[in-house]
Amino acid sequence: MLTSEHAIVEFEGGRARPDRLLQGPHGHYVEYARRMLAIYRDGLGRRRRDLHHDVVAVFADEADCPPRRIAAFCKLLDDAAEFQGDRRGQASPLRLRVFAQAAPLHPLVGERDKLFEHAEDEVKQAIATEMGMPWPAIDEALYADVPAYQRLESFEGYPDAQAMLSRYNVAQVQACLYRAEAMTVEAAEDFQTLLRHAKLARLLHRITPAGPSRYRIELSGPASVLRATRGYGVNFARFLPALLACKGWRMSATIRTPWKGTARLTLSEADGLRSHLPPASEFDSGVEEAFAARFGPRQEGWQLIREGEVLHAGQTVFIPDFLFRHDDGTEVSLEIVGFWTPEYLAAKRHTLELFASRRLLLALPERSVRPGASPGENVILYKTALKLAPVLEALERLRAESRP
Amino acid sequence: MDARQAHPITLSFDRGTLLLRGPGRFRQPPGPDVWVWDDRVGAWRTDAIRYARVKQALREPSAGTLVDEVPAPPPVHWPKVDGHVLRAEQEEALAAWLGAGGRGQVVMPTGTGKTEVALAAMARTGTATLVVAPVRDLMYQWHRRILRGLGYDAGVLGDTLYNVQPVTVTTYDSACIHMARLGDRFGLVIFDEEHHLPGPARREAALMSTAAMRLGLTATPERSDGRHADLEDLIGPVVYRLALEKVRGKTLAEFEVVRIPVALSDSEQGAYDGYSRQVRHFVSERRKEQPGYTWQDLCAESGRDPAARLAMKAYRLKCAIEDRAAEKLRVLEDLFRLHVGQPTIVFAGSNAMAMEVSRRFLVPTILSHTPKKERLAVLEGFAQGRFPVLVANRVLDEGVDVPAAKVAVVIGGQASTRQAQQRLGRVLRKTGQARAVLYEVVCLDTHEIERSRQRRRSDAYERTRHRRV
Repeated sequence: MLTSEHAIVEFEGGRARPDRLLQGPHGHYVEYARRMLAIYRDGLGRRRRDLHHDVVAVFADEADCPPRRIAAFCKLLDDAAEFQGDRRGQASPLRLRVFAQAAPLHPLVGERDKLFEHAEDEVKQAIATEMGMPWPAIDEALYADVPAYQRLESFEGYPDAQAMLSRYNVAQVQACLYRAEAMTVEAAEDFQTLLRHAKLARLLHRITPAGPSRYRIELSGPASVLRATRGYGVNFARFLPALLACKGWRMSATIRTPWKGTARLTLSEADGLRSHLPPASEFDSGVEEAFAARFGPRQEGWQLIREGEVLHAGQTVFIPDFLFRHDDGTEVSLEIVGFWTPEYLAAKRHTLELFASRRLLLALPERSVRPGASPGENVILYKTALKLAPVLEALERLRAESRP
Repeated sequence: MDARQAHPITLSFDRGTLLLRGPGRFRQPPGPDVWVWDDRVGAWRTDAIRYARVKQALREPSAGTLVDEVPAPPPVHWPKVDGHVLRAEQEEALAAWLGAGGRGQVVMPTGTGKTEVALAAMARTGTATLVVAPVRDLMYQWHRRILRGLGYDAGVLGDTLYNVQPVTVTTYDSACIHMARLGDRFGLVIFDEEHHLPGPARREAALMSTAAMRLGLTATPERSDGRHADLEDLIGPVVYRLALEKVRGKTLAEFEVVRIPVALSDSEQGAYDGYSRQVRHFVSERRKEQPGYTWQDLCAESGRDPAARLAMKAYRLKCAIEDRAAEKLRVLEDLFRLHVGQPTIVFAGSNAMAMEVSRRFLVPTILSHTPKKERLAVLEGFAQGRFPVLVANRVLDEGVDVPAAKVAVVIGGQASTRQAQQRLGRVLRKTGQARAVLYEVVCLDTHEIERSRQRRRSDAYERTRHRRV
């Protein structure tokens, strides 16, 4: 990730626009990225400052490139590289040793005279002889631990030049989010992934419906109800790659401008920013996937929507695997338990109790139920695959019950 | 059984805030009007800093049964408190702070022993304490002072270390990051150089802590943005203020400022003038079309406009010539000759210049990346006279104790009023009768001259003696 010193954001008309390299106007940046990657790939053993110097040189004739953008490229390259620090910690003791030897001879003068008889070059030569190392080698080793002088040890890099540029674009949005106070995501799918990553990023949510199978998720931190705070900017930035890997979303964030106003940052799937994370996996288990394939999009007046309903109470969220919507408007959710453990089933039971008022079907593997136990009326047991008939039967029963 | 007892209200700490839960959504909580209903979690929420106030109100019998889940800060037993006697003004400061209920700011000039006041406050209160310092050098210095003064090996949070103890030292940046997790562990928080606290991000460190006792220390509480007014809420009122005039010549040495102009070499001057012309030409061209064109405009444009970018680059190169003028090293040699035998600190304008001085004269540096052990060795070696000279970049600008330095040389760096004052503070510590001297080595016919004049106009330099060489 970049730091806020690398952020390039344009604030105009109440909007925040993070720097973005586009295929058209910045097409030639692909070539720059190739050259930058080559500098690092061919630069094993070179010092960090020399690598940076060469990266700067790539843009010598480029009119359209702010210094911050170059610094950001350097940061992204460094992030994908390992530098040889002064791992055995030799520089520090060397300094103390050399300086201690020179201390009684202070000051080292350019030319000696009657009062000061310790000339710089003679003292340095004497120390070098004593240490059995030529002076230029000592001079170089003296500050070898300073980051700028560290040498490149390995470079993982990016898959290709385009990947590096798209990482840059994402990193600039993240750097802009460091200034964010709140974020709202409107989504129609992938809720599971969205909310799980929001939780991982230690954000709190507030969920409100925004249309059929659409929800608005407001994300913020604990203190956000007390005052507008930028304290959760890093959390928003961390959440971003997960959001980008999802489908069917729109995001809007409130950004604090440097002159104490606010601006809006909006983004959607249509902006085409690519995440380096894999896309959200569609199905939790093979049982679900097989069932969805068997059911198809419609069956006897019922439409099948994956993760179509978000049930929530406070910070507890339950997203059943499927929502069935009948042509007459009846809605029923289905949760399929594939993989299970006793603890998992207990937790699931607790969640279901919390949302007991909803029309909800539960499909359980037969093995998970004690022989002879009565599973309850909205529970469908299955052996290896969940069949259509018992599900449709249960759907129709619930539809009949819901009619006045 | 009383219905209220059956349904107690609970107060808990949640990531830098307090949560108050009761049966259902109970009415407005008693006490100060600081609570906000948080529908995300179904509870009342407020900043952790309000803990002492809300706790008092919730203890009233009418408030019902309270279950307070916020942990009480553990008492701390100091292994050994050194019997160091405080000076009269330090004693006054401590009494004023204790009298204000352990909440307030102590304003004392650099070098008058703020740290000793704080250590005495820690010894008296005997509670879990977090000390927040601006930079890691200061953080380590606090660690040493606590070890020496109270015999306690404090935890260190920051500089890639995460060792939290009942008594812990940290930096403002680390405090902001970790206070959400640690805000309920301390009874006393000490904010060293408290003028760093009111920034929009850093103030979170004060808001997210439940500590009832707070001590702010500074020589210069005023901020140019006026935010110092917020310190009263974040820490407490100013309980003690000692004016610089009262201590000059008593605990602080007399001091003198000497400016040494140096000339750039012919080749440096040639390059410097070239870059200057380039910048001037660019700006004057722009002003023909935009009369109010400013330096800020240039910075803003340097992204889009290659000409502006070149002008910016020329400006940077110009600064680099100023900073690292070869003549400065020669002047430095003269000053070292002049003050041989007197501990001397050199303030460089950049890491590069600091290392250049170090490699030329083989004298130690304190830079931001200097390892902890080496810092200690260098500072101690300097204090004990084993190292004649210490070179620092901006790290030493503030608060770090550099004992007994009588000579300071500023060879670069743009200084604000506070920086100048802090720098002076470094050489002002009273050591015998010798007068302290601050040299400013500035390039002739460059911007450095102007900056030196600005420094001189600031309060810190008022009534000091100026001499030109």
